[in-house]
Amino acid sequence: MILECRNLTVRYGKVTALRDVDVQLEANRIHAVVGQNGAGKTTFARVVAGLVRPDTGDLRMAGAPITAGNVSISRQSGIELVHQSFALPPSFTVAEAMQFGADGGTLFTKKALERRWQAHLDKLDIRVRADRRIRDLPVELQQAVEIARALVSDAKLLILDEPTAVLSPEGAARLFDQVRHLRDRGVTVVLILHKIREVLAVAETVTVLRGGERVAGPLETTQIDSDRLAELIIGSASDELDEEDRAALTGAAIPAHAHASAVSDGAAPVLDMRDVSTLRDSDGPGLESIDLSIRPGEIVGIAGVEGNGQRSLVRTIAGLANVSEGTVGLDGRDVTRKSLADRRVAGLRIIPFERNVEGLSLNSPLWENWSALGLLRKPLFATISPGGFRRGCVQALDNWDVVYADVNQHAGSLSGGNAQKLILSREIDETARLVIAAQPTRGLDIGATAFVWDALRRARARDCGILFVSSDLDEIFDISDRVAVMVSGRIQAVFEPPFEISRVGAAMTGAVQ
Amino acid sequence: MIGNVVPAVRAAVFIVIALVLCGVIFEIAGFSAPLMFESILEGAFLRRGALEQALRWGLPMFITALGVVISFRAGYFNIGGQGQFYMGAIAAAFVAEWLKGSPAALVIPACFIAGMTGGALWALWPGILRIKSGADEVITTLMGNFIASLVLVYVTAGPLKDPSGSGQQASSRPLDAAYRISNSIGLSPTIIVIAILTGVLVWTLLNRTSFGVLAGLAGRNPTMVEWQGARVWRIGLASFLISGALAGLAGTIEFMGPNGRLAGGFLPGHGFTAILIALVANLSVVGTAAAALFFGGLASAALFLPILAGLPSAAIDIINAAISLFITAKSGFIDRLANLGKGQWTKS
Repeated sequence: MILECRNLTVRYGKVTALRDVDVQLEANRIHAVVGQNGAGKTTFARVVAGLVRPDTGDLRMAGAPITAGNVSISRQSGIELVHQSFALPPSFTVAEAMQFGADGGTLFTKKALERRWQAHLDKLDIRVRADRRIRDLPVELQQAVEIARALVSDAKLLILDEPTAVLSPEGAARLFDQVRHLRDRGVTVVLILHKIREVLAVAETVTVLRGGERVAGPLETTQIDSDRLAELIIGSASDELDEEDRAALTGAAIPAHAHASAVSDGAAPVLDMRDVSTLRDSDGPGLESIDLSIRPGEIVGIAGVEGNGQRSLVRTIAGLANVSEGTVGLDGRDVTRKSLADRRVAGLRIIPFERNVEGLSLNSPLWENWSALGLLRKPLFATISPGGFRRGCVQALDNWDVVYADVNQHAGSLSGGNAQKLILSREIDETARLVIAAQPTRGLDIGATAFVWDALRRARARDCGILFVSSDLDEIFDISDRVAVMVSGRIQAVFEPPFEISRVGAAMTGAVQ
Repeated sequence: MIGNVVPAVRAAVFIVIALVLCGVIFEIAGFSAPLMFESILEGAFLRRGALEQALRWGLPMFITALGVVISFRAGYFNIGGQGQFYMGAIAAAFVAEWLKGSPAALVIPACFIAGMTGGALWALWPGILRIKSGADEVITTLMGNFIASLVLVYVTAGPLKDPSGSGQQASSRPLDAAYRISNSIGLSPTIIVIAILTGVLVWTLLNRTSFGVLAGLAGRNPTMVEWQGARVWRIGLASFLISGALAGLAGTIEFMGPNGRLAGGFLPGHGFTAILIALVANLSVVGTAAAALFFGGLASAALFLPILAGLPSAAIDIINAAISLFITAKSGFIDRLANLGKGQWTKS
């Protein structure tokens, strides 16, 4: 046993993130830890890496006890963690980023640094030049560099936290090759995953966490099938979900699209983008000749590796980008030169990418967050009745099943799922015509994810058009009536159901159709 | 209710700590701390007429502080209250000079309009620079303070110079008695009514209009408000203008009331004390009224310090500075104490 964890319990205030978790992992194998959002996977990884001190429990590495909650001790004993969100400084070169985490080296030249780390990268078979800047690398290579950085010291146990979240299916396959390569070199790898397909593809054992508890594992992946694993991951909640949603949640198998379509044929599109290009901005190169239309009652999924123009697309529809060419039509009107305020009047609603930045003001009361849209429909200096807005807010939050104590509490005190429901309750109203849902389920647990899907389907049934942006193909296939794949600010291909992961995956890497 | 009690208690704790610290420092420096406290207590609160004096100093600061509250709530750190205060006073003085001889019923409102416009315009350019080009308003409004005080020196030594002045300190020609809104003691029903009216209007603006709620949201997270479709620049510019207008109003009151003329560099600490008041009040309108009264009292006690404790009257500035140090540092210890208290409150 390389790693033994006993009775790990972690509490954040009233929330118990891990409860009495016992895990033993054998050396020199590829282990997977799976579970839904909120199951405690990341907390587990952070405890092992020494970033979080458990309230109870202890850790042993290769038989020797290690002090929990101390990163340098964990690293000395050979544990390295690659984070879910990349932690490399974007302005550094690859060599500088490597040196940053390494021991030794007093005075050095740029060239010497690059020579030192180029050798390291070559040894790991990572094809990147050490003098390139992190920000210029595609995500896949950034991740490879992260892994190389984690291996600058003599790592025995490498933990990758949700490494596939940012990758295309092909990118994930290459990552898994890399992982096997590492295993062959004597590194024990722990992959935090949430897709059964990926677990079965790469891992030798699997440990399932649910609600902070270890419900099974480590099990040999050769002795378990995806149905059983899906049941373990979802637990009792599985009864309430239909088969396709379950499959989409766990990534067990690609769901065949069979949801009743509500598309009104012949109706004028609610979104009609023609040949739209935008100027380069902080999000990247901007859009290039986008043609996209959404009919009433249609959900169009935007698939693609993150950072391929999805944010520019959303900003363009919102009127927050510099459109250099083309026209944007909303519910039959040309709104290319209109402000977001006018577009909102025309029925545009947005569930933005960054729930906590673009969606909510965390330090403001719930009712103010909820009222913002209503307040903006009035003249700036119109008198209002806060009591009326508070009552409206209470009613809306109750309708949307938001768990909260008081409308005056700060939005930051809500859980992720409830915060998203608050946004839904504000954005999906009767006058909504086009709803942009940008990564609306990211970080949400099963219940909240299913809730968001249902809300969008209900909006579709009411003849809203919906633009659904996600980097999770399973979810996109489950919910969309049509899927467009974005690569480098272009729409690479458009797919009609039934969707095939291999073809969509190929389009995501830019392969010609 | 708890939401209001905790900041109030916290502010009170900060003030007590700052006073104790100043006491220790003055004691070490060879002055008598007990005498210092006695003179502050006596000067600010206990002597006869203490309330009038606290109001005389406190009401103009209250009005400027309300302006600070508006801009800080909207997320803009307009620290140029001093400059906007001067510019308001200067604009009012020019209009008074220009309309000299007209009936008071015309001159006084005209002066107020001019004063508020002057203050607002002096806040407009930092606002535009901030919103259109991102220039940090802390820097620009601070620069505005220096420019405004130099303009004040210029007009009191130049266009509005009082030829009969002693020459020691340049000052403008005195305002006709008919146009004064108070005597030199500095408190009158007019000023009290203006202050109350301003307080009610600002409270309504912040709590009962779209602007108030949206400015609060934008101040904490402008991105979110932008994604809701707001023209954030309108909210920002409006808060700069209102904030400046209020400082200008205070300048007009000081000019037409207690001072009766402009003097180069008069009331140099007004704008900063107003910021301090707004911060102590945790940006609440009611709190600002209470804090303004307290700091008005301290300001009126400044005269007592040399008499009773042998301290220079600038010692009040040291006390103010110490309080602002604690308020802005937001000591984690006090916050934790407050949170502990909060926990106790909600449990009981």
